[in-house]
Amino acid sequence: MFNLPNPQIGGPELFVLEFGDIVAYFSPYTTVLFAFALLFTIFVIVSRPERQVDIAFGGDAYYTKEVEPGLLRFQRFMAIACGLATLGAMVTGDVFNFTLFASLVGITNIGIVAAYRNRHVLNAAFQYGIVAMLATIPLFGGAAIVVASTGTLSMWELFTTAVTVPLIAKAFLVLGVMGEGMAPFYIAKAEITRAQGAPFILMVHVSSLLLFLRVMEIVISM
Amino acid sequence: MDAVTYSIGLAVAVIGLIIGFAAIVREKDDLHRVLLTDLAEVLGLVVIALIATDLAEALILPGLVVGISELMAVSEVYIAKEGLKAPEGPAFRLEVMDSAPGILALILVAYGIVLSGFTGGAVAAVGVVFYFMCRGHAEQFELIETASGYAWAIWIAAFFVFMFLPQYWFFGVMMAGGAILLKVMAKMSLVGTMRRGGPDV
Repeated sequence: MFNLPNPQIGGPELFVLEFGDIVAYFSPYTTVLFAFALLFTIFVIVSRPERQVDIAFGGDAYYTKEVEPGLLRFQRFMAIACGLATLGAMVTGDVFNFTLFASLVGITNIGIVAAYRNRHVLNAAFQYGIVAMLATIPLFGGAAIVVASTGTLSMWELFTTAVTVPLIAKAFLVLGVMGEGMAPFYIAKAEITRAQGAPFILMVHVSSLLLFLRVMEIVISM
Repeated sequence: MDAVTYSIGLAVAVIGLIIGFAAIVREKDDLHRVLLTDLAEVLGLVVIALIATDLAEALILPGLVVGISELMAVSEVYIAKEGLKAPEGPAFRLEVMDSAPGILALILVAYGIVLSGFTGGAVAAVGVVFYFMCRGHAEQFELIETASGYAWAIWIAAFFVFMFLPQYWFFGVMMAGGAILLKVMAKMSLVGTMRRGGPDV
């Protein structure tokens, strides 16, 4: 019943899930991304946080930092939510849902980053939050231009050759995803890797990488 | 509305957006940057509303919700970053806050019940919010939550009436209208209890 209009990029679809007029699909490309996101979500669920070791220079002394249970619980929750949002963004067949999942990834990323009580990390989280807030404008603006120029947000329609999406809409979508998902990559990374909480910080990187790969597939297919 | 009006509105909104972004670039104070970011975001929503015309609502609502939640998250980060604490001191008082709430809340709640449904719930809730904010409250959150939960169940039951017993549609309408009134009012009234005892109420 459903055939992906443009199988050169993601490959032919393997499985289609229909929610009314919103049709999620798995192609070989998105299946790989989905499996990757699922793997890391499971890692986050089962793993325990790393405990950093500080070494006192000039002696043999070292001490391990403790992770408070409250912080751990909050960060784990945010990381799992981020993983679920990434899973949704990988398989959705609707540009509107994709923008929603991307902004959810942005919010949960702020949550993961902001849980620390370290001044440098909080500064970085604040800068990232401002970029993520600004990025909602191009993200939803891109979706709005797609609707205004083509009259639909379903990827099944947008991927056909009959529908042409203006270049500015594609550029806005990519810009929005970069702000929402990728911002921690270039703003907060250096500060955050100093903080503890290894498996949860990974989710920031995984989600930004996967979101970017997915938006590339969407933009090229459109 | 013809196309020219949209174009003029769009041009004005885009110019405002450019000014907003330029201000964010120039501003160095963190708090002011948060405020300017929110301003730019609202202008972005205006642009979206003008571009997407009739489908705009579908994109404005999530944009607004995402913007507000991110604003709240960033504000929390700012408070933690600056180590801000609630200032001590006497609460803010006005005489009208002692005399007005009773009668105003009564009028608003009564009018809300007359309206019923979602709008009525919102109107009645404004009255309850105002009352709680001015007069304080003896916490009975469990009671409010219980009422809200039962109202939700009645609302769902009304939908089952529509589906399985369509001949009793009027009964279903009354059930749904009353229940949604209770539910919206109960939910929103919690807002009024939030800042009581805080520094600015």
